[in-house]
Amino acid sequence: MSKIYLGVDVGSVSTNLVALDPDYNVVFASYLRTNGQPLESVKTSLRELQETGPGQVAAIGATGSGRQLVGVLVGADIVKNEITAHAAATTHFFPQARTIFEIGGQDSKIIIIKDGIVVDFAMNSVCAAGTGSFLDHQAERLSIPIEQFGDMALAAQRDVRIAGRCTVFAESDMIAKQQFGFSKAEIIKGLCEALVRNYINNLGRGKSLEPPYVFQGGVAANKGIRAAFEKEVGAKVLIPEHYGIMGAIGAAMLAAETVEQTGKPSRFRGFDMLNLDFTPVSIDCEDCSNNCEVIQVQVEGKPIASWGDRCGKWTQKCS
Amino acid sequence: MAKISFPYMGESVVAYKKIGHMLGHEVIEPPKPTQKTVDLGVKHAPEFACFPLKVLLGTYLEEIALGADLLMSSGGHGPCRAGYYGEMHRKILRSLGYEGHLIIFDAPRDHLRDFYQDLKRIKANNSWIYCYHVLKLVYRAIKIMDELEQKVSRLRAYEVKTGSVNRAWEQIQELVNQAFTLPQLEAAQKEGHNLLDSLEMIPVKEERKLRIGIIGEIYVVMENSTNMMMEQKLGELGCEVRRSQYLSDWIDFNLLPHWISHPHEAEIQKMGTKYFDIGIGGHARENMGWIDQFSNWGYDGIVHLLPFGCLPELMSQSIIPQVSKDLNLPIISFALDEQSGLANNLTRLEAFVDLIKAQKFGVKQHILQQKAAG
Repeated sequence: MSKIYLGVDVGSVSTNLVALDPDYNVVFASYLRTNGQPLESVKTSLRELQETGPGQVAAIGATGSGRQLVGVLVGADIVKNEITAHAAATTHFFPQARTIFEIGGQDSKIIIIKDGIVVDFAMNSVCAAGTGSFLDHQAERLSIPIEQFGDMALAAQRDVRIAGRCTVFAESDMIAKQQFGFSKAEIIKGLCEALVRNYINNLGRGKSLEPPYVFQGGVAANKGIRAAFEKEVGAKVLIPEHYGIMGAIGAAMLAAETVEQTGKPSRFRGFDMLNLDFTPVSIDCEDCSNNCEVIQVQVEGKPIASWGDRCGKWTQKCS
Repeated sequence: MAKISFPYMGESVVAYKKIGHMLGHEVIEPPKPTQKTVDLGVKHAPEFACFPLKVLLGTYLEEIALGADLLMSSGGHGPCRAGYYGEMHRKILRSLGYEGHLIIFDAPRDHLRDFYQDLKRIKANNSWIYCYHVLKLVYRAIKIMDELEQKVSRLRAYEVKTGSVNRAWEQIQELVNQAFTLPQLEAAQKEGHNLLDSLEMIPVKEERKLRIGIIGEIYVVMENSTNMMMEQKLGELGCEVRRSQYLSDWIDFNLLPHWISHPHEAEIQKMGTKYFDIGIGGHARENMGWIDQFSNWGYDGIVHLLPFGCLPELMSQSIIPQVSKDLNLPIISFALDEQSGLANNLTRLEAFVDLIKAQKFGVKQHILQQKAAG
């Protein structure tokens, strides 16, 4: 049976699972909405993978904001932040890349690379302006399916300037322009440009952005945003074939390298764990003045992982 | 005798507690800030006030609820908003019906008479000579705590058993709490060192060690419940840590005559004038000096902590990218506020440590090892 490497990226909006062959080609990919249920969505996508009769799982890595919890669920060999994971995947497919634009559902990042090494990065920290959720919301307001958003932006005849500093301003500006009689297409184009302007101003501040540029994350599907990026940086922007699942690919690659380095077999729990119930429990430990909020994951009443205890007492009790 | 209490700011608790006990006051143990504290502060403070003001206000209210009638704290000079902290707190407390509860110690050189008046309230019926003796002992206790805490922040990176260093640190604080004479203190110091030396450590070669400096606004730097436990987190990620702020440095610089204390901070401030030639409040100038200092010491990176909207630290944040480039030293800023969802900040912190490792060890990003998976 052939070997495969798995990567799971559990984000706020989507849960992605990929399987790579030993040459890092994508042999399976699934993209699901997380819907606030990270454990369930990971299980669903693993079931999907199981039905395809996959090869032997030689390594598995977890990334995304839900990485800790899901790492425990699947028995990950590595649990890595999504910045490192994205950079790993991108430098594999584009060894020359210098600047990565990544826009996801709830966050966006800029990663600066030199000689294949991350030298700087920025991630939006207080504001969701310029992320996929914002676009989703506006698409809904204009009652346009988000899938058609990009094509419509490209069809615009005229430029409309929309304030991009804050979604609240952008929204009221949008309504104002609408009332002046601009078409939906023009407003959408203006919105795409506002989003990119906001993104570059916020995250690119104080950084020199060098080509080649790579644009990835779910929002890379949007041609309007890509065009706005190209206009803003004045150069071609590359989009990877698997732009939406680069984090998961990176996690799989990092897991493969980890297993190879340590020489130990993968800690993957196997597909049987899909039948187990994983229950997260929150405990307010009152044994000392620290009052730690401990999060514990239990299987059949037994704790298998915990976080948040400063003294390590709860962590040690896990099997 | 009063029922005395004080803010919770890192190890300063040990010092205040000792002063209270030795001068014969009843000490109301200050609760460590929790989400409840923050909520309480947020409720009664102006929305745009700095985060530390809200946490302190919450702490004061919790302490008053526990029966405290004398709250003492150290003040700030300004010119940033921190200069108004004390007055602000006093006003808010007064409007809530608590009059005369709060004593703020500013640097004695600012207002000698006020300092003296406040000191008299704390001094109570004790003789001045005894007070001097107490303060000297407390000063020594703080020095010892700082020395041990710096060791703790170095060792955390290499502990074999998760949490063993934290637990030893809790024990050490208790040891110092129980020491009321100089010989007892020195015994506690020795025992503390022994305790730490007996812990099992992963041997790491000198050139594989990672050192991170923490700079920023004093309260969020010193009180780990407001900075997402930055020192512990960095320790877990395998980094040795040193802060820019330790209580003894603050005392050396602000309370003691410089010809006695020879404060390191005076030197640091001089280094910082390269970036800010006037004081803009808080520790902006010192922090810039500390960047230079950490760089000279060969540190691998700096974490900069600021309360969201902190004026002096926003100024330093805006020149940090250039300084980081000039010194070739990675620096990351975290704006902290009442928000408790930390996923985003932790992601950035982990990626920051990855970045430092990749630069230092020259390995490709994707063959980076992490300390422990899962």
